[in-house]
Amino acid sequence: MELTRLKRRLKLATRIQKIVKDRLSILVMEFMQTVRECASVKERLLDEFAEAYKGFSLATGYHGYMNLEQELMVSEKDIKVSAGTRNVAGVRIPIFEIEKSESLQTKARPMIDTSSVLDRSTELSQKCLETLIQMAELQNSLDLLGAEINKVKRVNNALEFIVIPSIDVTIKYLTMKFEERDREEVARLKYVKQLIEKKEAYAF
Amino acid sequence: MPSNNESDSFLPDYLKGELRTLNAQLPRRQKSLGTLRKEQHPHIDCNDGSPHYFKKDEIEHLARMLDEKEQNSLMLPIILEIKSDEMGITIRSKEGIEAKIFTEILGMEVSYKDDTVRIFKPQLGIIRKTLKTTTQYVFL
Repeated sequence: MELTRLKRRLKLATRIQKIVKDRLSILVMEFMQTVRECASVKERLLDEFAEAYKGFSLATGYHGYMNLEQELMVSEKDIKVSAGTRNVAGVRIPIFEIEKSESLQTKARPMIDTSSVLDRSTELSQKCLETLIQMAELQNSLDLLGAEINKVKRVNNALEFIVIPSIDVTIKYLTMKFEERDREEVARLKYVKQLIEKKEAYAF
Repeated sequence: MPSNNESDSFLPDYLKGELRTLNAQLPRRQKSLGTLRKEQHPHIDCNDGSPHYFKKDEIEHLARMLDEKEQNSLMLPIILEIKSDEMGITIRSKEGIEAKIFTEILGMEVSYKDDTVRIFKPQLGIIRKTLKTTTQYVFL
């Protein structure tokens, strides 16, 4: 009875371990993909920042610092970022998306006292902002996926090196004991048979 | 006799928890691409009650690949079945729209037989890179 239960449990544990291993491999794949994407987005972000700074320094040279500051102060605009979650193999990961309505530069800034240099730099800074939001999403994903990988790895190791071997050992022990009992039974029967034969021989 | 008292309570509890986690990301009800395109914040509800949001860019990317009839037939998220005893990944597809999408993304023909699309594990990365929110895993 106990042996059957243990065998069933071993089968179950092996199956769970396989599923956990699959999940682990998927999570690792997702993690690696996110790392790659994160690296490329980071590189792009640095390039964009460099471009934006270059643009703003040009604009500062063209308009003068005070004028530029004045221009930018009136060109404020709210941006809408919609946030949600997506589920990757049981891990809830945040997603951020900028709601595109009108571009940053089109609103509020007067057309007088402006130049294409300034337009270009605001365009570049808007791009930076979009990439920054993408970066935030990726970094967050990395943290969450990393934590989940650690957790799943621990569970996988516990199943592979503790639970399954311990059930296996118990099954082996019980099988051995049952076999030993069988052998004892056979030996006992043989002995009884011998005794009966001896008794019968004496009787004749 | 070796004891397995710890695993006695651990296994059933763990199984329950693990199955709950594995099934958590499955959608309660899939929505068609056409319906999702009309929504302001396209999302579906997962088994655990949490919402799963789709990226609008991805939805538009899919819409560009399909005509209107196909858009209304394609149910999202696309479920990627991962079986521990199989090397590849299977996707149930009645009309073969998924096969068309994957063929376009991968740039090569994918196997489509008996309402099932089959892809290999290395191809999964490419698909997930393009369709992050519009595909979902299921572990069998």
